[in-house]
Amino acid sequence: MRNDEFFIGWQASGPPGVMGFVKVRAFALILGALLVAAVAMTSQRPFASSNFEFGVERPFEGRLEHVPYPVLSVDRPGSEEESHWLLTVFGKRGADEFTLPLDGHRVALRGSLIHRDNAVMVELLPDSIKDLGPGTPRQRSAATSVVTLDGEIVDSKCFLGLMKPGQLKPHRACATRCISGGVPPVLLVRDEQGPPTYYLLVDEDGSAVNDRVLDYVAEPVTITGRLEELGDLRILRANPEKYLRR
Amino acid sequence: MGHDYQAVQWNPQKKRYDGLLALGVILFLGAFIGGGAALFPEATAETLLLRGLGTASFFLLHVVLCIGPLARIDTRWLPLLYNRRHMGVTMASLAMAHGAFALLQFHAFGDVNAFVSLFVSNPRWDSLAQFPFQPLGAAALVIIVLMACTSHDFWLANLTAPVWKALHMLVYVAYGLLVLHVALGVLQAETSPLLVALVAAGVLTVGTLHLVAARKDSCDDAEMGPLPAADDGWIDACAPEDIEDGRAKIILAAGERIAIFRSGNEFSALSAVCQHQNGPLGEGRIIDGLVVCPWHGYQYKPRCGQSPEPFQEVVPTFALRLQGGRVYLNPRPLPLGTDTDPLHVETSHA
Repeated sequence: MRNDEFFIGWQASGPPGVMGFVKVRAFALILGALLVAAVAMTSQRPFASSNFEFGVERPFEGRLEHVPYPVLSVDRPGSEEESHWLLTVFGKRGADEFTLPLDGHRVALRGSLIHRDNAVMVELLPDSIKDLGPGTPRQRSAATSVVTLDGEIVDSKCFLGLMKPGQLKPHRACATRCISGGVPPVLLVRDEQGPPTYYLLVDEDGSAVNDRVLDYVAEPVTITGRLEELGDLRILRANPEKYLRR
Repeated sequence: MGHDYQAVQWNPQKKRYDGLLALGVILFLGAFIGGGAALFPEATAETLLLRGLGTASFFLLHVVLCIGPLARIDTRWLPLLYNRRHMGVTMASLAMAHGAFALLQFHAFGDVNAFVSLFVSNPRWDSLAQFPFQPLGAAALVIIVLMACTSHDFWLANLTAPVWKALHMLVYVAYGLLVLHVALGVLQAETSPLLVALVAAGVLTVGTLHLVAARKDSCDDAEMGPLPAADDGWIDACAPEDIEDGRAKIILAAGERIAIFRSGNEFSALSAVCQHQNGPLGEGRIIDGLVVCPWHGYQYKPRCGQSPEPFQEVVPTFALRLQGGRVYLNPRPLPLGTDTDPLHVETSHA
């Protein structure tokens, strides 16, 4: 179609035919943009019902243990059993340098809760730790069974609630930094019937494996090892060199 | 365009353009982030913000890339091209915000520098499925920010048009990197086929429009020449009446597009390529005695190819002569700025 109108941008207004043409399409474009935004937004995977109480500080008291990752063993009201809450500090860092000197001691500290289902982690404020003296020696169960598990290695801090999603490939770099910085690595095993299960990863001697699992983070892996249960914590002892990519 | 550069030379059309652009961005982010917060109460604000900014930026890049070919196919799209710089800078700003949030969220507060982490946190360069997608986005962001920073005419004048144009053609490299960034990143983690369909539709739209526009340009080139030169080097370009008043006929001679403009009974030949952004000057009009480029309204005097004072742009001009009732063109350009009397053709001929 021949168009005799000529648009000049620096003029106060354009020719009516051209401007009418553009106006209709500009609004159509905005509607198209809204449609794209709506489709992209609604197509996201559901988010986990985990939570990080950012900015909310609470007092905690319990016994410091290292499995080898630092945990706060907390008495359960009305129960003989204890809950074991993993400990971390601000950023992509482990809490070891602040907790190791007080291993086995009862402590009082302040921090923010990170929780998912029944699993809890505390981002503690290092300056708030108070030594309350030696605690009761811990009772550890023996390794119970050999298991083979398919899953994905993630960092416990993000998975338990700091980030959503705290798993899969887009989160790989973050998980790598967290684990490299000392946050406990866990094997995340998904179960279609229920919530995912996670296992703290240690080597066959029970030592931390942070530096040895970095190449496997966020990838589908199969790990065979000995499963040890410490109350509500599941610990998987396995040699990182024998992890298998799927 | 002039000596005294301003950040933005505002005019009513630019204000309307930017108003609509701002409205579109606000609605997009509002729909994604606000709608996401309502639909997914468990989602964190930073994740919605990160995704919303990235999606808005990627969508806007598609629009930026489509405007050029759309304006080639139908000139009525030119008002969207006129202020495309603002759309590009808006897109770059959204991309920078997305990149900054990603760097902060995924790489900061760790045991290595966040910028180092960006390139070392995923070592699986050997695997397509596990390929590090974030460095791809970072590389694209560098290109996009470089383009946004040099988008002003100050840089066009100082870098020269060919260098500036080559630099800004890198947008296609950035686009390719971003398609890979999305395909090897979020699309691997999400399960909805709608997201794949959206990205595929975007790539298909950009690709198809560029192919159609290229085909149109190719057909136009075939129609306009190249015309054979006579022994003395002059070319039989056309009959005077072949050119409409106020418009030009473009011919292809010696590998160049040359526009023969007609203003009443007077004919002048100029390069068909605008000095500003290589716009299609030959598709322009003569208005108030000046040749006006359809892209950004740059003006040139038909007699000498120079922009009116105080502007300094100048395009090559060419000699014309009338022979046997036909307009002949000498394809060798005259020295830049040469003042030449237009070819006058009696009304009976024109």
